Amino acid sequence: MKNIVIGQYVPGDGFLYRLDPRTKLIAVIILMVAVFLLETIIELVVAFGLVILLLIAGKISIVRVAKGLKPLFVLLLFTFFFQILFNKEGTLLVEEILSLNPANLGLGLLLTVLWRLLARFGKFKTILLFLWIAGIYCLLRYVAIAPQWTTFSLQIHEKGIEMSVFVVIRLLIIISLSTIMTLTTKPTDLTQGLEKLMRPLKVIGIKSDDFALIISISLRYIPTILDEANKIMAAQASRGADFSEGGLKEKIKQVISLLVPMFIIAFKRSEELADAMESRNFVPGKKRTRIHELSFGWKDAVTSVVILLCLAASITLKVIG
Amino acid sequence: MSMINIQDVTFSYTGKRLILKDINLTVEQGEWVAILGHNGSGKSTLAKLLVGLLEPKSGTIAIDGVLLTPDTLYEERKKIGIVFQNPDNQFVGVSVRDDIAFGMENLNVPREEMLEKIQFYAEKVGMSDLLEKEPSTLSGGQKQRVAIAGILAMQTKIMIFDEATSMLDPTSRNELMAYISTLHDEGITIIMITHDMEEALYADRLVVLKEGAIFEDDAKATLLRKPERFREARLDLPMALKIQSGLSKTDEKEKRVRDFLWEFVSAK
Repeated sequence: MKNIVIGQYVPGDGFLYRLDPRTKLIAVIILMVAVFLLETIIELVVAFGLVILLLIAGKISIVRVAKGLKPLFVLLLFTFFFQILFNKEGTLLVEEILSLNPANLGLGLLLTVLWRLLARFGKFKTILLFLWIAGIYCLLRYVAIAPQWTTFSLQIHEKGIEMSVFVVIRLLIIISLSTIMTLTTKPTDLTQGLEKLMRPLKVIGIKSDDFALIISISLRYIPTILDEANKIMAAQASRGADFSEGGLKEKIKQVISLLVPMFIIAFKRSEELADAMESRNFVPGKKRTRIHELSFGWKDAVTSVVILLCLAASITLKVIG
Repeated sequence: MSMINIQDVTFSYTGKRLILKDINLTVEQGEWVAILGHNGSGKSTLAKLLVGLLEPKSGTIAIDGVLLTPDTLYEERKKIGIVFQNPDNQFVGVSVRDDIAFGMENLNVPREEMLEKIQFYAEKVGMSDLLEKEPSTLSGGQKQRVAIAGILAMQTKIMIFDEATSMLDPTSRNELMAYISTLHDEGITIIMITHDMEEALYADRLVVLKEGAIFEDDAKATLLRKPERFREARLDLPMALKIQSGLSKTDEKEKRVRDFLWEFVSAK
């Protein structure tokens, strides 16, 4: 628990690390807008190429970014199939008659159970998922035994394939961009950047400096509280509690038995912390100087220009196209 | 002018039971005072009153000649710093550097000056190599040292230690005590709140609280001659005094050991 990493920040020394967090935040937003303006696959592929170039120039390992994409893999897959199956524009490329009947339903269930069981081993999860999808497809397509409940046709259109590739690449670019930002910016710097960018919101009553302090204190206490949870779990386990077994009802009971002491301790902690902060002359809402200083340098200026050029390019493409 | 002047202070949380009754206490510049007491004797409440976290029901507290009132509180707090018991619950920053800076940020110290002071005081407490470290990677003793650096950086004249060593291992505890001694040598007024007699031996003057009232207040050497008073306040005697009381007064050899032990407790 000592070396827990909050956020995805990985120390490094590429030029992206030396940019002002504000530049990075705004750049990500502008680039996302620019990507949404693009309309053809070729444009997107070029944009994707630029993102890869950015990774290489910023000395960020592509493997790390790919790891950042992993949790969103299911989303990507879903978008892909959704587009392929439900986009009915353009010429029809493939048409398959699928049927649903007791035989393939039963086999399908069996296959699903098998898949879940195998997935428990935790290896080849992705391959297993694809095998399951392929298996279900084969069952629906080739096991056509009476009595047929229903039949439906699976159609794949030209536009469907195009759109699915299009949407997936777009998502990939957007996720990669935000991953690049979180990989190269410390959570504290990110909060600082957000705080500075939120300054103008003071007009509508949002205090950005209090907000930043809340975030930085939360970040600071996450490892402490996790440590505490572990201690309480160990204390309860030593008195016979078993966190890994039991039905849903027992699980809920166990979670509550963990949460109650956690909350009590957290409240006590926050009270003591408030005392400590107050005794060190903290007054909420009062102006404070900052040890962290954000500096907008020439690197940021160059980056801003490049980013704006990207936006201009995609607007031009949109107008011409 | 005395550094701390407490006059007729009474305090209660709910109004019924008095936590502190008629406290009168004067501490001079550069003194090292141990405030001793059993659990529930009101010693921690007294500490919170001194830094203005609580307001007395009646009576007055003056720090460096200025009365503590809601108006003067923020000015006076600059002169007085407090290190609490739990090292984790007073570490505000995400790194050592940020935590030392926290108090100075609140005082609107310019950034360049802050950086200089952080370097200077971190070096003083032996944390200058660990400025970038996160609190979860530090030991309890290191966190307490960071807390001290943060307070020193605010140019405090008085430092209160509210059971600050009770959650530390023996080694870090000794280190911290030795460190507090150097602060004392530099002229900082030290108030040490504790129930541990061994720790209290470092002080010049002992104030014993019992059930919210001052039970004894005297120089260490004088008070140690009356061990029964500590027992009445339900405090454990220092090990050396316990051994001493078991030795014979007549036997020549044992008398020499007695004298040595006395020397030991009074000279610390």
